[in-house]
Amino acid sequence: MDKKQKQPKILSADLNENIQNIKAVLPAEDILVYKFTSGDDVQCAAVYADGITDKELLGSLVARPLSLAKAPKTIAEAEKLLYFPESKEAEDVQAACGEILAGNPVLFVDGMGGGLVLGTKKVTLRAITEPQTAITVKGPREGFIEDVKTNMSLIRRRLKTPALRFKSMEVGRHSKTLVCVAYLDGIADEKVVKEIEQRISAVDIDGVPDSSYIAKFISKKPYSIFKQIGTTEKPDILCAKMLEGRVAILADGSPIALTVPYMLAEDFQSSQDYYISPFRATVSRILRMLAVFAALYLPAAYVAAELFKLQLIPLNLLLIISGGTQALALSPSLEMFFLLAVLEILIEASIRMPKYVALALSVIGALVLGDTAVKAGIVSSPAIIIVALSGISAYTVPDLTGTLSVLRLALVVVAGSIGTYGIILLTALILYYLISSDSYGTPLLAPFSPLIKRDLRDTVYKTDMYALDTRPAVFRGKNKTRLNVNNRQKEESDGQN
Amino acid sequence: MDKIKLRQICFLFAALMPVTKMIIYPATVSYYAKNDLLLSAALNLLLMGAVLALVLFLAYRTDMTFFDLLQNTFGRVAARIIYGLFALFFAFSALLPLMEQKGFVTQIFYENIPPVIAFAPFFGVSFFACVKGFKTIGRAADIAMPVFAVCFAVIILLALPEADFSALLPVGGGGEGIFRGSLYGLTWYTDCLYPLFFLGHFKREKGAWWKVGICYLVGAAAVLLFLGTFYGIFADIALRQQNAVAQISKYTTAFTSLGRIDLLFIFALALVLVLSQCVPAQLSVHCACRALGDIGPLWPAAALNILLLGFTVFFKYSYLELQTFFTQNLWFVFLIFSYVLPVSAHLLRKQERGRQGKTGGQKHGAQCGNRGARMKETRKGDTTGEERHE
Amino acid sequence: MNKFWSRIFLFAVAFLLLLFFSNDFGIVNIQKTAIVVAVGLDIADGDKVDVTAQIAMPASSNSGGGAEASSNVSIHGAATVGEAIAELNRKTGWYPTLVHCRLVVLGEGTDSEDVFRFSDYFLRSEFVEDSCLLAMCEGRAEELLRAKSSVGDMTSAAIAKVLSNESQKTGTVCVVNLRDFAKGYYSVSGSGALPVLSAKPEAESGDSGGAGGAQGAFAGDCGGFAGSSALPVQGSSGSGNSGAGGGKSGNQNKSDVFDATKTALFFGGKRTALLEAEETLAYNLAASPTDFAYGDVTVTENGKDVTYNLKMKIGKRSQDLTVEGGVPVFTFRIRANAQVADTNKSETIEEVAKTTIVPEHVLRAAEEKFRQKLSAVLKKANAGGCDLFEMKIKLYRFARPYFDALKDTVLQDAKVVYDIQFDTLK
Repeated sequence: MDKKQKQPKILSADLNENIQNIKAVLPAEDILVYKFTSGDDVQCAAVYADGITDKELLGSLVARPLSLAKAPKTIAEAEKLLYFPESKEAEDVQAACGEILAGNPVLFVDGMGGGLVLGTKKVTLRAITEPQTAITVKGPREGFIEDVKTNMSLIRRRLKTPALRFKSMEVGRHSKTLVCVAYLDGIADEKVVKEIEQRISAVDIDGVPDSSYIAKFISKKPYSIFKQIGTTEKPDILCAKMLEGRVAILADGSPIALTVPYMLAEDFQSSQDYYISPFRATVSRILRMLAVFAALYLPAAYVAAELFKLQLIPLNLLLIISGGTQALALSPSLEMFFLLAVLEILIEASIRMPKYVALALSVIGALVLGDTAVKAGIVSSPAIIIVALSGISAYTVPDLTGTLSVLRLALVVVAGSIGTYGIILLTALILYYLISSDSYGTPLLAPFSPLIKRDLRDTVYKTDMYALDTRPAVFRGKNKTRLNVNNRQKEESDGQN
Repeated sequence: MDKIKLRQICFLFAALMPVTKMIIYPATVSYYAKNDLLLSAALNLLLMGAVLALVLFLAYRTDMTFFDLLQNTFGRVAARIIYGLFALFFAFSALLPLMEQKGFVTQIFYENIPPVIAFAPFFGVSFFACVKGFKTIGRAADIAMPVFAVCFAVIILLALPEADFSALLPVGGGGEGIFRGSLYGLTWYTDCLYPLFFLGHFKREKGAWWKVGICYLVGAAAVLLFLGTFYGIFADIALRQQNAVAQISKYTTAFTSLGRIDLLFIFALALVLVLSQCVPAQLSVHCACRALGDIGPLWPAAALNILLLGFTVFFKYSYLELQTFFTQNLWFVFLIFSYVLPVSAHLLRKQERGRQGKTGGQKHGAQCGNRGARMKETRKGDTTGEERHE
Repeated sequence: MNKFWSRIFLFAVAFLLLLFFSNDFGIVNIQKTAIVVAVGLDIADGDKVDVTAQIAMPASSNSGGGAEASSNVSIHGAATVGEAIAELNRKTGWYPTLVHCRLVVLGEGTDSEDVFRFSDYFLRSEFVEDSCLLAMCEGRAEELLRAKSSVGDMTSAAIAKVLSNESQKTGTVCVVNLRDFAKGYYSVSGSGALPVLSAKPEAESGDSGGAGGAQGAFAGDCGGFAGSSALPVQGSSGSGNSGAGGGKSGNQNKSDVFDATKTALFFGGKRTALLEAEETLAYNLAASPTDFAYGDVTVTENGKDVTYNLKMKIGKRSQDLTVEGGVPVFTFRIRANAQVADTNKSETIEEVAKTTIVPEHVLRAAEEKFRQKLSAVLKKANAGGCDLFEMKIKLYRFARPYFDALKDTVLQDAKVVYDIQFDTLK
């Protein structure tokens, strides 16, 4: 290959040549050139990308002052002249093109070598709203949006500490997505930070449309059905996780922040648990665990009981179920499989359907699939109840819904083919898989396996805030103290005196 | 990779050990010892406890693994041969419990299915577990402990109202039957061998003696309580109750509106049983890997599980004969491998403490460190150290 | 995920899906299953057995579910119970499952020889729970299982209610399950007891006077230390037919009530004696967990016979066997609290208000009555060799050195001591 082509083209002092070079690399029609003259009639031009540049700012802070002053001869003079808060020099054509594509116009002045990159990016963003997947009754309602800078600011607003670090990288040959690794120095494990940076830097891909791409690259078992990386859309949750010792990864264009290391138990925690009384929070957590258990095992247990072990069902209930299934064409296992498939189709359709047909489809789902199917003898009422209960229970933990759906189906298949013992074997297999899986040195099933008693107080049950004086033992950061209990006790006793 | 924590060893004895003695063992020991089954079991438990204490003592005298000790004493080839023999023994000792579990599964879980289809998938799970190593033994024990504690408590609470403990009287009248029950029960008491293979794979902690001791006592008490309750419920028809754990709690729940709610807890205990049955297979694979020159676990695990599946199919109609053969004719094999050899390990040549171990122990994560670091035993909550999460 | 694990995974999934969708290895699921809820055994000619299975037949889902009907299927002349159960499949086309079998009824005649000749099938089978209730019946078990319950339940459900733990708590019924009976049979005592069921025809349904008539049928049992009378019933639609179709014809059909106040005593599997209702109550008060029993005591007050109906709660009960000077001494130790439930004389309002206090002479009369009945029970049992109060077992457990010498004569030679005290609230 020609060495000359490999080497980046240097920006010259000739305005037209620079513009030509830029247009050669960026021929797209949305790359525009704004030509104007300086006070001493020297040609100036700003090359920018239409739609992502703040033209008003360009005009008022760049063109206007220049039109009233002498043309700068150097970049330093230009910077001094313009008083621009964000500006830097573009050394070559490639760098200039990169900045233009990022929304930062490049100013060229005839006779001035190089180009001045001006930070006037303006992207139309959506408002900060409450995310749909993490609705709380009590607590903050802010959620991340698609702009990584805004997201960083949301974190900075909550963690006003010098220990908060952001390390940015560009990922994606064409998308050049800005990916930012955020952590608290002294609290997060440095080895984890380093490993994440290495993994992200090693990514060589065309584009990164969402943070889930990054998640795949930093996961050690990307094919795993279980999550390896934590996710959240809420800055308060993210900050709380960072304060526990996790590392956050933000990607431009995605409202979902990633956190590592990840534990399965954290999906059972809700931010609301920390804003309500510990007793209520404990009950909620236990309910969630029971709901997940029911979501997974209820359909499979129903199939296994009907096919293999009638004794599981009390006699009176058995007679009701038996009465309901006598005339059915499908066997219990096929009936359950069919209903679960319909449930998944309904869920998929409800996510994607336009709002104006939602009502009609709800009627179809309820009446046709529910009532009419029972009357037609395709399915039985008990099976519909089981599937409905299972479906609702799965959404008590929205982050695990995908995993639960697949596992539920697998358990039904196993229950229908191998039976009750098959359910136990699959459970054992899943357990073995989970206990042998780690997320950046943190076991997925911590603090249950390995058992870390101290961390159970914020997992199975929610203890009082004063008892959470140390960070989770499962993370390896140096600074373990969260809450200084002794000072408070001293204040209390001083107050009493 | 092959790491286990002391706490997990404790849980192994508190949870995984008792559950294997709740299927056919109660009926078997009551056949020999009748109402003195507690004495029979207590003898076995005492013996096992003594061996366990000696193995723990050995762990405090050396940081080396059992393989390293054998290698030091007899050389590498002999050590591999001995490990090969242990691999065979673990596989051999797993066969009867597997058959037992198969019978339990087909009778309690099913009414109408070919047994092979019901039970064969167990070997898939066992294969997966064997490939994963020691770490999973310990972590499985962490999971098994609370499950066992809850389920065992519920089942015993449901069984206690029906138990008449005076059926255990008179004490000591069994005579020769007590010793026969102990001797022929040796096949169920091989758990004391496991810590020998954990040597060098766990960090000693302060108070390890009483921690392991208490957990062992808890497990032993669970076994004795179960046996006592079992005999209190069934008395003279005890030897008919093949699947004891599934029988003792049904009388309280049989006529309630919820029906056999105890079956759910029995199924959960079956999960603990699966985890406990995988342990000898995992250890067999571990020994086989070392015996065959530190190869990966994949092929030994596959071979072992296929072999065990084959034996299970071959002997599917011969459980009684197999049990009689194992218990009455081969009891000495269990005595030698599970009791005599672990105790004899004290005679093996240990390296002086403080010298670096440059053997395969390091390759498998053995804790051959310098004396100063090792003497400062790990305190509870210590967060330093590389391999913290076992 | 490397190739090896991918292939293993795919193979496992394919195999499971094949099993799942083919479902073709002999599984008998709920749609093909006959749920047997009760089994009756009768002796047939030539030492064969007639087996009657009561199968619960759920109504169709159109009727709203939950309605119970039952169907009785009888197999005559089978050599064993197992053979008869297998033949059920051939006769009905449905696979019988006995996991929900709650009741086994032994007809008259099965007790002439060892009842375990036939009923040990239920001990052998892993799929029949030995928690099922076991009972004898007057007449044929097949007839009993055809009886129509007056409260609309299946016959077996109605009988199970009569033999429930709640009934046992009142002491009127001796509730025995298969395990208890088998324990006694295989123990050193070789003895046991079973309730004897009988179906008494109730008045025609819809006639409220029938309730009184029903009670009248039991009036003869109410003298002395009587048990409680039958439940008053009105209007029944017949057992086993409580669905939509059953109601209309119910008005024309007679329904039955079940009585289980008599108890048969066994030794070596053979019946040796029969306890009447009062004796059953006395036995239960002494040996079974009873909470509240009712009994009548007649005393003479001012030259007139006054009957007190007492509500008794047994506080402490025990039976101990000791050997004193080579002689076995069997002690009944019973402490009970009583209160007056009713009398057949009118009392002042103060006396009615103090109904919980039983007069001293009534307490003593109750103690004497109980002693007499208990003694009668013991005599009946010992006469046939039935070790009803487990003397041999106690001898074995608590006085082992004397067991071999005394086991054959303990029933006859034991000196019985009655330490019975009734007390009242003060």
